[in-house]
Amino acid sequence: MAVIINASTSTGLVQSADTSGVITLQNNGTNAVTITSGNLQFNSGYGSVATAYGCRAWVNFDASSGTPSIRGSGNVSSITDNGTGDFTVNFSNAMPDRNYVVLTEGNWGVGVGAYADPNNIFAPYGQAPTTSAVRIGMRSSSAFFDYAEINVAVFR
Amino acid sequence: MNQRIIYPTDDGGVAIIIPAESIEAAMKDIPEGKPYKIVDVSDIPTDRTFRNAWEYV
Repeated sequence: MAVIINASTSTGLVQSADTSGVITLQNNGTNAVTITSGNLQFNSGYGSVATAYGCRAWVNFDASSGTPSIRGSGNVSSITDNGTGDFTVNFSNAMPDRNYVVLTEGNWGVGVGAYADPNNIFAPYGQAPTTSAVRIGMRSSSAFFDYAEINVAVFR
Repeated sequence: MNQRIIYPTDDGGVAIIIPAESIEAAMKDIPEGKPYKIVDVSDIPTDRTFRNAWEYV
């Protein structure tokens, strides 16, 4: 059981409660969202209520001209420019372990029309990822390269 | 964000920390024991052609 808030199509709001510490939101008696201790689950097209694994950190930055700059980010305290095509993404709040997934993408710049080969932006690079940071490398052909659009997302 | 943190790398180069929100929040990203400086972004060269030859002075 749980604390249940149900949007019923016949009677409107229906509520019930127990002491389990679980919160459930229902649409006409069908579970849509469940919140347990430290765990958010929802349906949203899955077909069943299942745990949602969110993006835990993301950053969009420009390394192509002048000094690199961050366009936008979430849970990122900074990026470190280690050299040409060599950056570290530093997390504001640490990951629970180093077993997270890093997705990278980049291109030469808006309007240029050339996209980086996905294999040319890679993480981890140079050193194992840690709970607080992950290092990424970028190449164009065989040479390290600073792309104009670099996107990094971390899932856990 | 017009400030950067620079510190020497182990291979004789220089690393540059670009804060996402604030210098204060980015201070934790300096490797332990490394000397560092907080500089204005205008103090950093804009031509990255020889980026790997930059040195910490």
